[in-house]
Amino acid sequence: MMQFRLEKRREPSRFMLYATPVAAVFLTMVIGAIIFSAIGFDGIGAVREIFLTPLTNSYKWQDLGVKAAPLIIIGVGLSIAYRANVWNIGAEGQYIMGGLAATWVALASHGSGGWWTLPAMMLAGMAGGAAYGAIPALLKTRLNVNEILTSLMLTYASVQLIYYLVRAPWKDPMGMGFPQTRRFASEALLPNIFPGTIVHAGVPIAVIVALIAWFIMSRSVFGYQMRVVGAAPHAARYGGFSENKTIWLALLVSGGLAGLAGMLEVAGPFQRMVPGFPTNYGFTAIIVAFLGRLNPLGVIFAGIVMAITFVGGEVAQTTIGLSNSATGVFQAMMLFFLLAGDILVRYRLKRVVPQTEARV
Amino acid sequence: MTLNRRNLLKIGGAAAALPLLGSKAFAQTEPLKVGFVLVGTINDNGWNYAHNQGRLYLEEQLGDAVETVYVENVPEGPDCERVLRELAQQGCKLIFATSFGFGDSVIKVAEQFPDITFEHATGYMRADNVGTYNARFHEGRAVCGTIAGHMSQTGKAGYIGSFPIPEVVMGINSFVLAARKINPDFTITPVYISTWNDPAKEADAARAMIDQGIDIIAQHTDGPAALQVAEERGIVGGFGQGADMSAFAPQAQLTSIIDNWGPHYVKTAQAVLDGTWESKDSWPGLAEGEVQIGPYGPKVPEAVIAAAEAVKNGQIDGSFNIFTGPINDHTGAEKVAAGVTLTDAELLSMDWYVEGVIPPA
Amino acid sequence: MTLELTIAIIITVVGASTPILIAALGELVVEKSGVLNLGVEGMMLVGAITGFVVVFTTGNHYLAILLAAGAGLATSMIFAFLTLSLSANQTATGLALTIFGTGFSALAGQGYSARPVTLLGPLFPSELATHPIWRVLFGYSALVYFSLAMVFAVWWFLKKSRAGLILRAVGENDHSAHSIGYSVVAVRYGAVAFGGAMAGIAGACFPLLLTPQWAERMTAGRGWIAVALVVFASWKPFRLLAGAYLFGLVMTMELYAKAGGGPLSAIPAELWAAMPYLATVIVLVLISIRRDASSNAPACLGRPFLPSN
Repeated sequence: MMQFRLEKRREPSRFMLYATPVAAVFLTMVIGAIIFSAIGFDGIGAVREIFLTPLTNSYKWQDLGVKAAPLIIIGVGLSIAYRANVWNIGAEGQYIMGGLAATWVALASHGSGGWWTLPAMMLAGMAGGAAYGAIPALLKTRLNVNEILTSLMLTYASVQLIYYLVRAPWKDPMGMGFPQTRRFASEALLPNIFPGTIVHAGVPIAVIVALIAWFIMSRSVFGYQMRVVGAAPHAARYGGFSENKTIWLALLVSGGLAGLAGMLEVAGPFQRMVPGFPTNYGFTAIIVAFLGRLNPLGVIFAGIVMAITFVGGEVAQTTIGLSNSATGVFQAMMLFFLLAGDILVRYRLKRVVPQTEARV
Repeated sequence: MTLNRRNLLKIGGAAAALPLLGSKAFAQTEPLKVGFVLVGTINDNGWNYAHNQGRLYLEEQLGDAVETVYVENVPEGPDCERVLRELAQQGCKLIFATSFGFGDSVIKVAEQFPDITFEHATGYMRADNVGTYNARFHEGRAVCGTIAGHMSQTGKAGYIGSFPIPEVVMGINSFVLAARKINPDFTITPVYISTWNDPAKEADAARAMIDQGIDIIAQHTDGPAALQVAEERGIVGGFGQGADMSAFAPQAQLTSIIDNWGPHYVKTAQAVLDGTWESKDSWPGLAEGEVQIGPYGPKVPEAVIAAAEAVKNGQIDGSFNIFTGPINDHTGAEKVAAGVTLTDAELLSMDWYVEGVIPPA
Repeated sequence: MTLELTIAIIITVVGASTPILIAALGELVVEKSGVLNLGVEGMMLVGAITGFVVVFTTGNHYLAILLAAGAGLATSMIFAFLTLSLSANQTATGLALTIFGTGFSALAGQGYSARPVTLLGPLFPSELATHPIWRVLFGYSALVYFSLAMVFAVWWFLKKSRAGLILRAVGENDHSAHSIGYSVVAVRYGAVAFGGAMAGIAGACFPLLLTPQWAERMTAGRGWIAVALVVFASWKPFRLLAGAYLFGLVMTMELYAKAGGGPLSAIPAELWAAMPYLATVIVLVLISIRRDASSNAPACLGRPFLPSN
């Protein structure tokens, strides 16, 4: 039996850092085509439609932008938190609370809004997301409660809050009894930046957020603090960085950005609050953050790759009749390869001669 | 050079896409390409399944004149907008969006593609190139209610709903109005479970109602779970929703309401082909065959079948309307005067329960 | 409330609780070994479709349960390989596993949608369950008794067995366990495999115990409730049993209250649905205040094990 051993690299491999995501996507395409052909689908067609059509068809680019924008904004926030070893997996809940806070502003100012409505909604969205992120932060810093668990549980509670609000107090009085709010007034809707397309202001905002985050993380004391606390908590303590403060910052920033994404979605594509508002952006963004190697610039790339698979999955359904579930399998396969490739950044694979007492 | 291709260039500047799309979408002699957007999977045994059956019927009836595509599991919201544009861009000239929550997206996308015809099921917003359509399921509910009124021993029925939207409320009211024409003490308890598709929860809701004395069950959710519980518990029975579900409950299914979208799809596609389509609200029912009553179950006696058929035929020939007064609301106050019939607009915004419904909190 | 109704409610609650109890027992062992597998929902769906297909083709319910366990286990090995052999991030891998299980089960289940099967019948002869009181004890299918037996088995394993001691040591302090010669990775592989098999059986409960059909995504989020439940129970098997029945009661009482009227029916449906999660957060806070969390929450939960060479 062949055995491999992992040997730690002295420094993370730069080459592997960039090569593994590309290799993962490529492997998914090759192996996906083989497996799907073997079980009786048009494997090559599936790969072409899912991964290539969204890129080669310029008409799809606006869709990619709109789909990727919330993933990038949330993913940037999460990558900052994860760098600091703060495992916020409740971004979906923070996204929802941001959307709800923005909706509240839009509904309260309906008919009396003005130029200030959108900025106010943006602030409310960030505040709502950050406030929801503050709960796990408080529990973690005060009571040492695991933030993975609290942030996840709070997500499920927030979904129910949407259902309640749109069914009862916020229901559109003219909506024939359907559970949704009224359509926002025009001052509460994001403008389209290119006339004739669907590209709303959230798309450039996503890129700007990622660039700012990249700059801060690589050039500022804040960024240094986050990275040091995450990488070497003991050293950070000696360096005078407070671990609790880092936890607070990580959750407020990632929650606030998720809330911003929620505001941009509700004021952009949705134009009202509906029960279908939670679309798993918060969970998908976790994967985006890892795929982007926890680097804000990488997150832009990762958000677009994920968007390609979503958009391409729909193309594949209409052109070659590939079912929606097959797209899910493709996505999962790509994530598995990506996650598997992770280790090559920090370790190298060495073949070892089997020994009698080899322990795994 | 086809009209489709010119549009594509005009709208998207999508020269790069042509080699990929060209082979399949534009090679044939211009069949009408019809797109379907579905909120769930075509395998749900219910709502989406029925729409897909309608799509297959359309292909069968119009043959080479049409070509159909569908996209399933489309979330309500921006994703739907993208799917609609995707279909438009692939050359669909007629697109059916089959869930209420697609309404905003349909209106938005229809504005961008003025020469494509859109039809939105169960919606109420129309535009020059957007029509709406639905089926009068409540007519079928009146037939079921008639059977329930005859056959229930406890005089109590349960009704599993998803959300209290007018379409669901209308069905409940129709059901109990029909049952009370037979048994004036008949009551119905609606239980809303806030989901269209959670079979385990539907089954538990059915158990909860049966344990508390109902012996007839009806549901306005997508699957056969409640009927299966009715079968397992051996109560009087229940009704298939959307499709014949006797495979799941051979004894307990008393009859079923079958969604038959096929004729509407054929009629609409033909109108688009002929250039005679115009935006309107289409709301046919039993008379047009859009709503059908499935086979009666083995437990239903001949006399009850006759009564049910009478209600069905009365609605088909127009001599009977379940929403003709006098109708009291659930508090007993008169809501519709004798001889007055509720208008379609009143039905479509129905948010009150008739007498006999034990209103949910 | 009459005796009949009380007993009927108990029976429904037991049915609703059993799948989350089984899945959560598996996840408890996984977490005790220091691994957080958030792919429970995905593994359950793979178990559900496997159980359905086997019972549909063979009619043998016990074979269906066995193969569902195998399918869940096989699915969990993807997670184990990535997180344990390759030290991939557990949170992301677990989420990817749920995407995989959802897609795979839907793909495998195409064509099985309009096909009914039969439920797994009661384990004991029906003569034992004629009186309502006896029905509460003897009226269930084997899956229910299996779930209860597994509560004892898991408790015994973790508390009394040597293997359980090692498993807990690995979850508490992987580096110490490694240094005294235990294979951290092998122990965790075993725990994840057990969790996968249990999730597979939990998934099979849906077509075999609750509603004899296949529907895409039919577990409808119960896998996440199971994850919540493990935390709610503060990683203790008997609290898990109580918690599962409490969650089952909450999920079921909503329906009974709505169907029967009465004061409870005034509580909004959304609050009922949010209760298990809110209760879990509250329990987390309470156990932290009482400071017994540190003795129960596995210290290495979710952290990859990287032996220093």
